[in-house]
This record gives sequence, structure tokens and C-alpha cells, in this order.
Amino acid sequence: MTATTPRSDAWTHTSSLGDDAFAGEPDDPRIKLDRDLGIFEPVPPYPPRTEREAEFYTLRDGEMFLNMGPQHPSTHGVLRVVLKLDGEKVVDLDPVLGYLHRGVEKLCENADYHQAICYLDPLEYVSSLFCEWPGVMAFEKLLDVEVPRRAEYIRVLSGELNRVASHALFLGWMALDLGGLTPILWSFIERDEIVEMLASLTGQRMLFNYFRIGGVNGDLNHEFMSRLGDWMGHATEQIEAGNNLLNENEIFVRRMRGLGTIDSKTALRMTMSGPNLRATGVPFDMRRAHPYSIYPELDFDIPTRDEGDCLARYLLRMDEIKQSLRIIDQCLHQMPDGPIMAKLPRLLRPRPGRAYAGIEAPRGQYGVYAISDGTDQPFRMRIHDPSFLHLQSVGLMMPGHLVADTMAVMASLDPIMGGVDK
Amino acid sequence: MDRAFKARLERRFGEQLTGPIRQRHDETEIRIGAGDVVPVITALHDEPEFAFEFLADLAGVDTGEVMQVVYHLWSPTTPDWLRVIADGLSRDDPRAPSVTFLWKGAEWMEREAYDMFGITFEGNRDLRRIYMPPDYRSFPLRKDFYLADDAARSPGAGVRPMERTHAPSETPRAAPVRRIGAGTTRTPR
Repeated sequence: MTATTPRSDAWTHTSSLGDDAFAGEPDDPRIKLDRDLGIFEPVPPYPPRTEREAEFYTLRDGEMFLNMGPQHPSTHGVLRVVLKLDGEKVVDLDPVLGYLHRGVEKLCENADYHQAICYLDPLEYVSSLFCEWPGVMAFEKLLDVEVPRRAEYIRVLSGELNRVASHALFLGWMALDLGGLTPILWSFIERDEIVEMLASLTGQRMLFNYFRIGGVNGDLNHEFMSRLGDWMGHATEQIEAGNNLLNENEIFVRRMRGLGTIDSKTALRMTMSGPNLRATGVPFDMRRAHPYSIYPELDFDIPTRDEGDCLARYLLRMDEIKQSLRIIDQCLHQMPDGPIMAKLPRLLRPRPGRAYAGIEAPRGQYGVYAISDGTDQPFRMRIHDPSFLHLQSVGLMMPGHLVADTMAVMASLDPIMGGVDK
Repeated sequence: MDRAFKARLERRFGEQLTGPIRQRHDETEIRIGAGDVVPVITALHDEPEFAFEFLADLAGVDTGEVMQVVYHLWSPTTPDWLRVIADGLSRDDPRAPSVTFLWKGAEWMEREAYDMFGITFEGNRDLRRIYMPPDYRSFPLRKDFYLADDAARSPGAGVRPMERTHAPSETPRAAPVRRIGAGTTRTPR
């Protein structure tokens, strides 16, 4: 077969049922089939607009397109990936985003400073506290507010708990995408304990909306502390049990080793960060690279691995859980007394200026860039999400691997579509 | 604030800066023209004195008068964030050079800035819309794009037109920024 242009009918109407499958449909112009809208067709119904699009949507001999998503169960949200296949091997892929786009940046520009924080939670919904954190930090910089030390400790404590919950869920999801059902059940037990704990602190299970500009919403309470105490007693043991389930699983380890490899130079060029960058051997962690909050006072290590494959990314996250437990322990021992909120007026009008805050979220460097124009609303609010950039580099890792490994590689990068699509 | 870093920047990029270097909290801000983006960013990335190897963020900004492209860079040589503002892009036809030759990962961030602001990045080989559908014709984060249901800001006149930007085929024209109900508005410089 010769090279096919994207307009070719040969690909737009390939169906195992053939076109006759729709022959009995009423000919009502109001009924729009997906087929008519063309939104789920792998090949876009217009000529290519960019160099890359022209290159991708041109088939060589023996190649074909395959749509994965947007309702594919293991895309972690609503993501469509157009795969270019040669037999069972992936040649190239083109992620199509925007199915979950809500325009959070625009919404934030039309809300006042307190309201804007609420919009940040549903971005990376499994680690909501880390979405609020850079937002409040950027606003605090605009306002020149100093956060009380107790509030900083509570932020770090709850944040690290959220990191453990997020990484625990990652373990389950990744195993699920590889076909193992047990770990997701185990990790949900783990996550549920933490989530219930945070619910007693913040009042919400998932979208906590806990951090405030200048502090946190509520002080530590008895229920939270007793749940935390219970959990700390068996956390290590429980996480070890979950790890052993996978670490000693021959099928899991042999499949993950050498899959989706990326080297440190390429990872930096792809502006990756967080565990995915550290799995290539770069000890880059915002908590040490650009210290914020009370992290300079805490004692913890930055685990790294050199392989840069899926297994390294998985093992690295498990190492990070252990470091998070160390941090939680130190926070509990060093927790100072004092206020949890800085004194601030109810209506905030920072003087005109710009501020950027970047933190280490479970998925990498999460940043918020805020511009104030002197009114009570942010003039511009830019949200930088690491998942977005990690998803971009899937295209580099996949060529040569099998179709089924696409989701394994994607799961090992741990993108959250709520954050990717904003 | 890293004063020594400010002096280093002034010494190296003196004539390319279009405004004073500002420092606040842990941030240092420089402004350059869009034409100087490639030499300045390349120097910041390559020269061991600066070694800004990590691109933390790339954002488009519409101030209502001009467009800007804002880069946030991180380096082990300074405790500050470096913010590089490529200033003075015209709102009619904003154009800036791409930095994908240094950071391939900037490709999607530039696609996003194109999608939201209509900034054309010359040298980006995949500059198409990323969030909005391909047949969408306006740029939602521009300041003259109003939200339809902006009830909190509405003076009671009802629903605003969904968008006031122009199709790419027509010549876009800058509209004055008007923030409703906000009293005196100062445009951030």
C-alpha cells in the first residue's frame, strides 16, 4: 500500500461491520452519530496543519491507526491516544487532549483570591492539597504575608499524608493496568485510611480546600490525631506488604524492567520533574532544590534510581513513601504551638506585581504564576502541571513497544487527566 | 534575593534588557524583546556561569496592551527563580521564537499558549490547538474574551456575548481592556 493522506476514505470508514451497520438508522438530520461528527475518528477530517501532524497522519506500508480512548478504562480519565501501529508494535503516538478542559485559569481570573483557591483542588484530584499549595504560596508572596510556623507544619504534615495516599493509589492503578486486581484493593484500604484521616481534619474526603492564604483552615483535632496514631502504627508494615506483592512477582518485574526507558538528558529536555525525573538518576526535588515552607529544617533523603524505566519509577515512588513517613514523624515531634492563620483582611487586594511558586507535588514540580493588578481578582493565573509534560514524553518512550504496554508506560508516569486538561 | 546574581545578569545581558531587573522574595525578573529570546535563553542555558537547565514554566500573558511570553527557569547557581519576560509582542499578530531547540518539552506549553492566546511560536513544529477543538476560532485567555456567565461581575445587563475576539482569518484587533465593577484598574507592567 502506498502512503495514505489523512483524507483517505480507506481509513475513515473502516469498520468490521461495514457501513451497512448503520443502514437501518432513521434519516433524521437531528440525529448526529459520532460517526458524522467525526470526533472519534483517528484521522482528523481536515488536511494537516503542522509539520508534525502531516508526518504522523501519513501511513507507510503496513501501518495502521488505532484509537485508544477517550473512554478506555486505563487512560486515568478522559484521554484519547491515536496509536500508529506496525502489526503489534507502536511506531508513534499522538495524545489528543481537551476532553476534560474546564478553563480553570480563566475561572480563577474571574474569581477573587479566596475563591480562586477552590478551583485548584479538582486539578490533580488524588493529591488536592498539592494543587492548593502553590496557589496559596503565590498569593502569599503577592501579599507579603508570613505564614505562622504551626500552619507550615500542618501543611507539611497533611501534604505528606496526601503524598503517601497518592503514591499508594499509584501502586494499585499501575498493577490494575497490567492486569492485576489485588493491589488496587489493598492500596484503596491504605488510601481510605489516610483520606478518612484528612476528612476529619479538613471536612472533605477528596477536594479538601484546606489551605488558606496565610495559613490553614482548621487546627489539628482529636479525631485526626487518633486516626493518625493508629495508622502510623501499622503503615510501614502495610505498605511493605503491598510492595512485596509486586516486587516478588516475576510477571510484574519482568514486564516492567526495560520498558519505557528514558535517560536523564532527554528527561531534562522534556522538562520532566518529580519521581519520573529522579528515576533517571537526577536528584532534583523542589523541596531541596528550591526550599520552601519548613522543608530545610526536616531531615529526609532524595531517593534516586538510574535505570529510568517503568520498574525504576515504581520502586522510586515506594522509596518516597518511606521518606514521607519520616517527615510525618518529624512533624509530629517538632510541631510548635501558636496561631494557624496570619492576620489578613477579608477582601484581599495585593499591590500590582508578579509571583511564582513551585512545589514538589507527588507528580513533580507543580507551579502557579500569579499576576496582580491591584484589584481583588488575580489578573492572570497560570497553573503549571507536571502530568501535562509527562504525558508529552510518552511519545518518546513508546516506539518499539507493544500496544498493551502503552497503558503500562502511561500508568508508570502517573498522569492525572484532571491536571493535564485543566 | 540574590544581589550578586542581579549584578551578573546586568553585566552579561546589559544591552539586551528592556527594563530594570526586579527582585522580590525569591524571584529575579528580567525583560527582553521578543527578538532576543533565542540568544538570551541559549546563553542562560549553556553558559556555566548561569546553567539554567530546568525550564520550570512557560506561560503566555495578555496585559491588555501587549502580549508577553514568560519563562521561569531554575538553576543550581542561584537560590532565586529567574523569570524572563519576552515583552512587547503585538496583540494583532503576537510572534515569539520557540525554545523547543533547547527543551523539547516546551512544545506542549507553547501549544497551550497558542491555544489560549494565539501567540505564534516560530520554530515549533506542532503548533496546533491542544485543549480547544480544532475548529475553534478564538483565544479564551485573552483579556477581551468575556465569560458568558460572569454573574458576579455583571452590572445587571444580562448575559454577555460569548466572545469578542476575531476569527484567525480576519485581522485581529486589540480591544481595550475593561474590567467591570473593579473600580480603578491598573494594568500590571
